[in-house]
Amino acid sequence: MKNIYYFSKKEFLESWRTSRLLILMIIFLILGIMNPLIAILTPDIIQMSFGDSLPVNIPEPTSLDSWGQFYQNMTQMGLIVITLLFSGTMSGEVSKGTLINLVTKGLKRSTVVISKSIYLILQWSFCMLLAFFVTWAYTLYYFTDDNSPHVFLAVFPLWIFGILLITTILLTSTVSKNSYEGLLLTGGFVVLLFVMNIFDKFERYNPITLTSENINFLQGASNIGNYMPAMLISFFLSLLFIYLSIVILNKKKL
Amino acid sequence: MNIIEVKNVSKSFGSKQVLDGLHLGVPKGSIFGFVGGNGAGKTTTMKLILGLEETTKGDIFVGGEKVTFGNTKTNRITGYLPDVPEFYPYMSAEEYLTFCGEFTGLKKAERKQRIKETLTLVGLEGNKKRIKGFSRGMKQRLGIAQAMLNNPELLICDEPTSALDPEGRNEFLELLASLKGKMTILFSTHILGDVERICDYVGILDEGKLKVSSSIEALKQTYAKSQIELSFDEAADFSILIAELNALIEQEIITEVEKINEQNQVIISYNKDYTDVAGVLLESLIAKKIMPVSLRKMNPSLESIFLEVIR
Repeated sequence: MKNIYYFSKKEFLESWRTSRLLILMIIFLILGIMNPLIAILTPDIIQMSFGDSLPVNIPEPTSLDSWGQFYQNMTQMGLIVITLLFSGTMSGEVSKGTLINLVTKGLKRSTVVISKSIYLILQWSFCMLLAFFVTWAYTLYYFTDDNSPHVFLAVFPLWIFGILLITTILLTSTVSKNSYEGLLLTGGFVVLLFVMNIFDKFERYNPITLTSENINFLQGASNIGNYMPAMLISFFLSLLFIYLSIVILNKKKL
Repeated sequence: MNIIEVKNVSKSFGSKQVLDGLHLGVPKGSIFGFVGGNGAGKTTTMKLILGLEETTKGDIFVGGEKVTFGNTKTNRITGYLPDVPEFYPYMSAEEYLTFCGEFTGLKKAERKQRIKETLTLVGLEGNKKRIKGFSRGMKQRLGIAQAMLNNPELLICDEPTSALDPEGRNEFLELLASLKGKMTILFSTHILGDVERICDYVGILDEGKLKVSSSIEALKQTYAKSQIELSFDEAADFSILIAELNALIEQEIITEVEKINEQNQVIISYNKDYTDVAGVLLESLIAKKIMPVSLRKMNPSLESIFLEVIR
């Protein structure tokens, strides 16, 4: 357990000193500020672009528009930035040979995988919560409506999906020789989930729905319980990916 | 008593066999030079000893305990310096050693003391720079500091001097020599002069097999050839010289002649008394009016032994 703590601490130091954590914090902070702001400014932007020629009246923005921006930006930017920054997390250690000194000191390879998982999940949780609370605070400030009653319930599935994506990054990075290969494999996995979403009967089981139904969860229009299978599958896939990463790293030539 | 016992170990990568039934014993307390050309299997052997590679066949024992692939327990008594040690560039030397020390199980106070001692030993004490600003030599010194952090009984160094400049190499060899008696050192290299300088035992690996393993003195006695080096100026007639030397071979006074054209040198091997052979040789040369500019009795070098062994 102590070794997991020591290695996770090193992961934090690495993220901090290589500025990756700072980059993530800035990006997620900007996203948090931008979400309600874009929601407010969008009607004005459209009005300015089309002028009086616009045939319909643009409705006044609500808190739902702000949260809509949040879920759109988190999936289209936040998760992508995390994937780009950490797709070489394990392949980098193996290809550079930085683990050799540590493994020959008695560090177990499984400790490396578990520590990286814990750190990356904590980092994702922190960044997501940073953007979430900033969005929430500004949304409460700008929008006084009560259209978004279930803010925590709606963000929970996104958090679960983020964990699945992180363990996918870890697995693909362990399998691959460099960060590009890892990126390609992670991208392939997400595309596969999107393709599966074409089939309606898989919807409740497909982890990707955890990033697409959030506005319905937010309004209470969709029962989160219906998507429990997707959450459970995401959870078990995450555990499986961590386990597979350990098995593969144990056999990997350092 | 041997601290390392490699018993009938073979290792293949796909269809390529790197080690073929290797037997190796490293005496406790020795500095053991592990010699071989590039691709001879030195690094593979060391990685097998550290459990970083899996043997195809055979067993390895360190301190009497069997080495297992992956997370071998024998590493608790072992320190390892890879040929190109890699560190986390964003850490300082002290931070890196603290990080490594946390996995060795040393108590905090003891760890601090060991870090201070090892940094002083390798000359990096008080250095606050991040590792990314370190020279190759400084990285090598940090490498040995991390390898020695847990005060290992066995220190394994994989070609530690191959990429160092002459000054760095000299410092490093002095450092290794200063550890003599404190721990067993297995030291792989293809620089034979380094082995001759600090090692007391040597093993020569060639084509995946250990061709020879003994003390350097015993090796010299067994394999070293008696040789004389003759140097001539450019005007010397080498055809007459070679004919004369061939005549001496027929008379069984000398055994072999090797001509080094570029330097107008001839190396002569013999197996009789030096005084007798040198006398007859000089007489023959004087008779043919071929005067060498120098005649030197050659001391057996590890290089000549190595070439003889792998021939």
